[in-house]
Amino acid sequence: MNEELILQHGLTLDEFQVIRKYLNRDLSIEELGIFSAMWNEHCCYKTSKKWLKKLPTDNEIVIQGPGENAGVIDLQDNDGIAFKIESHNHPSYIEPFNGSATGVGGILRDIFTMGARPIATLDSIRFGLIETEKTKYLLNGVVHGIGHYGNCIGIPNIGGECEFESTYDFNNLVNAMAVGHVQKDKIFYSKPKSIGGLIVYIGSKTGKDGIHGASMASDVFSEEDEDEKRPSVQVGDPFMEKLLMEGCLELMSSGLIESMQDMGAAGITSSSVEMASKGNVGVFINLDKVPLRQPLSAYEILLSESQERMLAVIDKKNNHKVREILQKWQIDYEVIGEITDTKRVVFESNNKKVVDLPVEIIVDDAPEYDREFYIPRKRKNKDFDFSKIKLEDMIINLLTNLNYLDKSWVFDQYDSTVMGDTIREPGQSSGIVKIHGTQKVIGASTDCNPLYIKINPYEGMKYTVAESYRNLIACNINPLAITNNLNFASPLDPNIMGELVLSIHGLKTAAIKFNTPIVSGNVSLYNQTNEIPIKPTPVIGMVGSNMDLNKINTNKFCEIGNKILILGKQLTKNCSPYLLQDQKIAFYICEFNDLEVLDLDFEKKIANCVLELSDLKCIMSCNDISRGGIFSALLKMQHKDMGFRVKVPDPIDLFCEYSAGYVIEIRSKDFEEVTSFLTKKGAEYLEIGEIIKEGIEINSKKFDYFDIMNKYRNNFEKIIS
Amino acid sequence: MSFKSAVITFPGSNCDRDALYYLKDLTKGVVHNIWHEETSLPKVDLVILPGGFSFGDYLRSGAMASKSKIIDEVVKHANDNRYLLGICNGFQILTEIGLLEGALIRNKKLKFLGKNCFIKKKFKNNFNLSIKDNQVLQIPVAHNEGNFYCDTETLNLLKNNEQIAFEYCKGEFSNTEENINGSIEAIAGITNKKKNVLGMMPHPERAYSDFHQSQDGRLIIESLIS
Repeated sequence: MNEELILQHGLTLDEFQVIRKYLNRDLSIEELGIFSAMWNEHCCYKTSKKWLKKLPTDNEIVIQGPGENAGVIDLQDNDGIAFKIESHNHPSYIEPFNGSATGVGGILRDIFTMGARPIATLDSIRFGLIETEKTKYLLNGVVHGIGHYGNCIGIPNIGGECEFESTYDFNNLVNAMAVGHVQKDKIFYSKPKSIGGLIVYIGSKTGKDGIHGASMASDVFSEEDEDEKRPSVQVGDPFMEKLLMEGCLELMSSGLIESMQDMGAAGITSSSVEMASKGNVGVFINLDKVPLRQPLSAYEILLSESQERMLAVIDKKNNHKVREILQKWQIDYEVIGEITDTKRVVFESNNKKVVDLPVEIIVDDAPEYDREFYIPRKRKNKDFDFSKIKLEDMIINLLTNLNYLDKSWVFDQYDSTVMGDTIREPGQSSGIVKIHGTQKVIGASTDCNPLYIKINPYEGMKYTVAESYRNLIACNINPLAITNNLNFASPLDPNIMGELVLSIHGLKTAAIKFNTPIVSGNVSLYNQTNEIPIKPTPVIGMVGSNMDLNKINTNKFCEIGNKILILGKQLTKNCSPYLLQDQKIAFYICEFNDLEVLDLDFEKKIANCVLELSDLKCIMSCNDISRGGIFSALLKMQHKDMGFRVKVPDPIDLFCEYSAGYVIEIRSKDFEEVTSFLTKKGAEYLEIGEIIKEGIEINSKKFDYFDIMNKYRNNFEKIIS
Repeated sequence: MSFKSAVITFPGSNCDRDALYYLKDLTKGVVHNIWHEETSLPKVDLVILPGGFSFGDYLRSGAMASKSKIIDEVVKHANDNRYLLGICNGFQILTEIGLLEGALIRNKKLKFLGKNCFIKKKFKNNFNLSIKDNQVLQIPVAHNEGNFYCDTETLNLLKNNEQIAFEYCKGEFSNTEENINGSIEAIAGITNKKKNVLGMMPHPERAYSDFHQSQDGRLIIESLIS
């Protein structure tokens, strides 16, 4: 086999030699295609595996950890929650609408493959600076794509994040998360149950789309590639996915399916190999039986990533019933093979075996690398002159920076109330949906702070986990578990590899402390174009619950006259220069200042105070303090005709993103009870002001309430138009 | 006497379950779920054509569903002077069938719109009896094609016959534009001439439970039952 062909398939010559030696024969082109698909980063995690193994993945509530289509946690009684986040970065840069739409489609399939009905989606999207026309095009396309797919299927979008930063100029990120509800006794896995079971193909016909998508997604980009690679972006059809979802859920609830696997990245190849590997069995598939949209070679069928397709194993006796149900939903259905006891993956085409490989070599012998990594040098903190900063300028900075403005323009394009169980819509600290027919609620939040992680990957990752944690706590939601999406540039650069290793370490530390295991995830490497690496962006999605929907907190002000307190790290004068709304300061800090160590025990203590006070009904509203500091938290809490009057040692500190915790609203009559409770618990607090009618006042200085709120809500749309 | 109702499910309907719960919780009567290929409809007081993307919105929103087998029965039900309510995609289907006038075209800003909107009743009919004049209702919308359009002649007919049931309006403290999607005369819902068929873009089935942001969606079922 010639070297060029091997390299074109994304394999190194060393990797090829391992295969060649094991098989002791030449490979067919189809077999080379299979290794190309299965041995890339996207499918076998060859770079990250060593480090991912260190993450905590289990505790008393974990039903299914990483390794299946989605993780599942226990929500008491017979209720389970399946969830996962996945990236569709490269496709969304090449073709933003279809790239992001199919990202949503893929993650939804991961959820209903487990037997779970999706009940919510979230996302995390990042773009370059809005000054370039390309960013506007990408933003419009991505938001339209996410909305189109989710809205059409009818799954509420309950939250997410959207950030603009220059390192994403040529490499935007699109991570989509889905959450589903499953009955614990009806969870489906990809492991087949019996030898002789029929392998059936369910869903859309196979076409040429997405061939080599998985290996493309693991490639470094150059700009000229863009046009050339467009044909390998999959095209989604949410209507077909809706039918597929309803059809599959009906099959599963009727007990007609043994196991199921979605045909995602690397299509029929990866789904069948996974099945064989999980069950420690073999598979035989006749490619001539695969429903096709156009004439395709065996090689193309194996690698096609056409969307909305499933592979399932059924008992022979159920063949007729399965066909009947799928006919009702107008879904293609074909028996294409069977489960064998050979422990080999065999594909036949035109009466010829085109692939005949032991499962072992594809899965167990997949490469695993221990790549070189550097630990970043410790930064020296530089003194910062606070005296030059003006309060008015800080407010203007915040109201003209996309990252801090109200993002209704994005959320309004998503259906967030379909299914009728939405309690908190996007734009609040966490999205919340009810488990239908119960009093239980699920809260979820996606977060990442790439700047912090760039500055200090270990500490920065702790901050990222803490941010999600606080988002849930603020609503009186108990954090339960995490799904992660590690977006990084090329791991072949030891500096980038260092970011990856250290941030996984930070994730581990925080997850253990918060008892929030990582139950599913995804890794997206080589996010760099024209040698510009993205900032390290390990996004996490955290899920939590409250068993009683009447106990959750609102993030919005409730009543004029109520007191405003801050809870958490005490606000000392000029505590930190993390005034990041100002681009110059942000740049300065990124260059020199390190992060302060985040005390996770303290974080937990404060969180427990918020939860207890919420259960005592002492908290009228609560918001976490993150980006934009206390000032931004207060703007987000604004509601109806309510504003705020605050007094703090130095108003500039209201913008510090660093001294984080919570803003809480309490009634005057509860003040004694709340403060003595906090004192008893040793939790620091500061009374900073009160809720007033139609006003914003800081240290006796009055600001134009309507002007600020108007800009906060409308400037995003103005800037991006 | 208990109130009987039914919800039709088309392939691609995604608010059919919500409509079923809405009816079950508020009417306390029997609620049927009818698949689009059925050829008979039980005798019920109210039929809902639910929201969603029937047949993927292919061809035109509601166009394919209006040719489904069950539609003959739905038309008979309406001709029998019984209640028929089309919500969102259901409204689009009703205009495609021809039971309601006008058409729903793309939103003014050419973007999907998913947020709370505010409506009030225009002319009285059996669907809005329990709603006071000038009472502002808060109900979510979620649509891409909700911009109601008709020619001047039809508009005059709708007015003269008092067929306009709801119009969009300004909500207190709301940042949202009054006429949220650019509909002609801010029309949010219309009835047929006999006023037993209503089509509306807002989703009352998402605004009735205690935990919903608003419970104003109850008023429509309460109007029909009273």
